[in-house]
Amino acid sequence: MKPDSAAACAGSAARPASTAETAEALRRSVARQFRRSLHIRTLDTGSCAACEQEIRLLAAPHYDLHRLGFFFTPAPRHADLLMVTGPMIRAFDIAARKTYEAMPGPKLVVATGACALGGVYQPDAFTHGGIGETLPVDVWIPGCPPSPLALLQGLLVAVDRLAEKVQDLTFIRSGGHR
Amino acid sequence: MALWFLRGLRRGVITTRYPARADDSATALPTPPAFRPEALTRELADRLCLVCPSWALTRNGDVLFFDAGACTACGRCREMAPEAVTTSGEFELAATNPAHLVKRIPLLGEGSS
Repeated sequence: MKPDSAAACAGSAARPASTAETAEALRRSVARQFRRSLHIRTLDTGSCAACEQEIRLLAAPHYDLHRLGFFFTPAPRHADLLMVTGPMIRAFDIAARKTYEAMPGPKLVVATGACALGGVYQPDAFTHGGIGETLPVDVWIPGCPPSPLALLQGLLVAVDRLAEKVQDLTFIRSGGHR
Repeated sequence: MALWFLRGLRRGVITTRYPARADDSATALPTPPAFRPEALTRELADRLCLVCPSWALTRNGDVLFFDAGACTACGRCREMAPEAVTTSGEFELAATNPAHLVKRIPLLGEGSS
């Protein structure tokens, strides 16, 4: 494993253009490992609990995320994916870092909701205004709160079972208004 | 009410088939706005930026930047300018890069350039 990774590093240093491709291949190989069994630990960093309500609904019979191989776990040491809600209040820095470090690798981080994506709160003395600068986020799920289907799509994007769709959306609607 | 819910109640199975089959029940919930560039002027864009409570809209020259990640789908922009802002109906918004969520909306309305 080590000589391979050293060669990959040397290759990426010699050809910087392929670094992004190497990173994408690595991301896909990690995601593929979790395709049929992924354990999720949720982390509330100061959210209003609306996101938690929607996350809780994922386990309800309507959405039934267990059929897709996703499971919730209360222990970060059992978790593959950290689902973070809230704007990352500064008082939570140590707890968030400990949770992330307690998870075994490879691990994924999903930012959930507009607060976590830097929308609702601006950075100030009490909050970072988003989790991007504290944790290495893999997938960002917008919404206030994101509906269970939006969360489900985000989880499936995280494990590379669905392609990202938002990249091609323009949010431009030409023609007559409705 | 979603069709799969009614059908499920009849058959005793109420689980959605998503992602194997499309499920548009989430579009009944608030979704981010979509914009009509022809109806957007600089003045209107500035007013929209002011009315947005979550800093999802910013204007730079003749381009309105819409951050779908910051948007809370509150509907205030749509309420202020129904001729220029509609509902997008999109809910599958997960992104692997936050830059993918920032959209450029050109301002093509009269007197904008």
